[in-house]
Amino acid sequence: MSQFLEYLKMAVSNIKANKVRSFLTMLGIIIGIASVILIMSLGNGMQAVISGELEGIASGQIALYTYDSTGTYYITNDDIDAIVEEVDGIMAVNVYQGFEGSTVTRKGEFSVNGSGQMASYQYFSNTGLLKGRYFNEKEYLAGTPVCLIGEADAIRLFGSTDVIGMTIDMTPNWGNSVSFTIVGVEKEPENSMFGGGYDNTPVSLYFPMTVLTQIYGWEMDDYYQIYLLAEKGADTASITSQVVSLLERRHQCFGENIYQYESFNDIMSNINTVINAVTMIISLVAAISLIVGGIGVMNIMLVSVTERTREIGIRKALGAKTKSIMMQFLSESAIITMIGGLIGILLGIGGAGLVAKIIAMASPEFASFRPSVDIATVLLTTMFSSAIGLFFGIYPAKKAAKLSPIEALRRN
Amino acid sequence: METLIEVKNLMKIYNPGENEVRALNDVSLTIMRGEFVAIIGQSGSGKSTFMNMLGCLDVPTSGSYYLNGKDVAGLSDDELSDIRNKEIGFIFQGFNLIPNLTALENVELPLIYRNVPAAKRHELSVASLTRVGLEHRMDHKPSEMSGGQQQRVAIARALAAAPPVILADEPTGNLDSASSKEIMQILRELYQEGRTVILITHDNKIAASAKRVIRVIDGRIVSDTNYGDGKSIEEIAKQIEEEGDKEQAYV
Repeated sequence: MSQFLEYLKMAVSNIKANKVRSFLTMLGIIIGIASVILIMSLGNGMQAVISGELEGIASGQIALYTYDSTGTYYITNDDIDAIVEEVDGIMAVNVYQGFEGSTVTRKGEFSVNGSGQMASYQYFSNTGLLKGRYFNEKEYLAGTPVCLIGEADAIRLFGSTDVIGMTIDMTPNWGNSVSFTIVGVEKEPENSMFGGGYDNTPVSLYFPMTVLTQIYGWEMDDYYQIYLLAEKGADTASITSQVVSLLERRHQCFGENIYQYESFNDIMSNINTVINAVTMIISLVAAISLIVGGIGVMNIMLVSVTERTREIGIRKALGAKTKSIMMQFLSESAIITMIGGLIGILLGIGGAGLVAKIIAMASPEFASFRPSVDIATVLLTTMFSSAIGLFFGIYPAKKAAKLSPIEALRRN
Repeated sequence: METLIEVKNLMKIYNPGENEVRALNDVSLTIMRGEFVAIIGQSGSGKSTFMNMLGCLDVPTSGSYYLNGKDVAGLSDDELSDIRNKEIGFIFQGFNLIPNLTALENVELPLIYRNVPAAKRHELSVASLTRVGLEHRMDHKPSEMSGGQQQRVAIARALAAAPPVILADEPTGNLDSASSKEIMQILRELYQEGRTVILITHDNKIAASAKRVIRVIDGRIVSDTNYGDGKSIEEIAKQIEEEGDKEQAYV
């Protein structure tokens, strides 16, 4: 052990004696490690942002739709009742029915996207309320014209968010006009990548779907698409297959793939898979640069062995064994790659932070983007760079250790 | 007196086969502990090969070599390293100091390879450098010292581990005459202190510091003269000269 310390000391003193060269040798390793860390932490951060966004919107949501070219299959209100009754683990079911129209306030004329929802809307809304309340089951059943509006839209229409109890006179593009009473204001999603209100987009209103009966003059009963919300921790795969087989039984269309679904959990895991794959591929490229760096270390160590042939001869003449010389040169390449690795890790983390700042500055929807490095990545990378040092150091070290002392001494 | 080195029928053949070169041809020799021996010969005489054999830097093609009671003729590289470390102190013509180490660190080297603990190593090295009068140059690098000083560092390095044999290969070959005198003075003192000194040189005047002179020509020992302690350096030098002429004529 004390011997080992001596070799480390020798290695360090030699690295110090050749500062510029040692640094240039490290550079390959520094760049390799820094890029691996940079890419991995950006990838992790990106994944966290996207997961966070989708988590808010859609954790446990399943979209169920009919895929039917003949237009004969629908999902009816009775189907929805049956689903709620017969399938366990479902927290809520919702249906959206939209219509377009316009409204005039003292701020001007606005186009409106009305979105009829079931009373379960509150479970599907992910931003939460700023003021007021959601509409309830009673209002849904009675078809009471109440509505929710987004914070930004409230400001666009009325210049304020104090709009509870105010009315919006809505003229649909087709059908009867309705006067909605505002009962709730929804918060804006924070720095969302998906959507967000801009000046020229229509104002969105959310109201009991039964109000559509007043507008259109008939009751809504056939839907192409419904949304299920699984209870927390419920098995979404089993729920969807139960729902699909229930619908197939009710509509007598077994195995025809009329009823299909998209689970947001699946989508999320798909997105994660894609991000992981992209991260891995770019990391692989970075890892290749690491190997190139390792070859650089080997190259310099070979030059160093040739240059120090005489020194090796002297050491051997004075009693250094094959192992001692090997250890000296191996320590040297290991220390070079280790220091390079540490600098690379710091640079990688710093660089990722910098890139995140630049991205956040360029596009505000990425403000919540934080690169993240897990300790496993750091440990793995450090180990990898030391391994590279050892691996690429072995050949030069062996070459040095095998030199015969007389031949080494004879050379200048 | 105790036998330190015993060489029998030593052969070293380069390029075995048609163009073989017998660098050492059937050399036998015994050196006692405490002797001061000079091995002299022209360049190409085989004295350097002989020095490599005696210094365990190379292995003979055949023959036996007992150093301090151990048969070293058939040892492996690492075993030879060990023998060199423990039994031999080298002094080379080109000093052979490691350039980026200080005088003290250079002297410590053989002790490091002998696993001497740091404190003891430092103590021995300082004592050894003091012995050659370089206590004020310990932190200097070789490039910051004169040739004579560098060779004194090399002597200190050879002495530090107190090996039984001091093997000096043309120790004054790269030095001016003043420094040469200094170095030879130190070697004579080491002999007087009871150490075994083997000096390899082509210079008869330098060889005259020794008490026994072995002449090598064409890989063979052609003369082995013991002058004893009675004669002065000048007298020995004169005799070496005369004998050299005789042998030259004989060859």
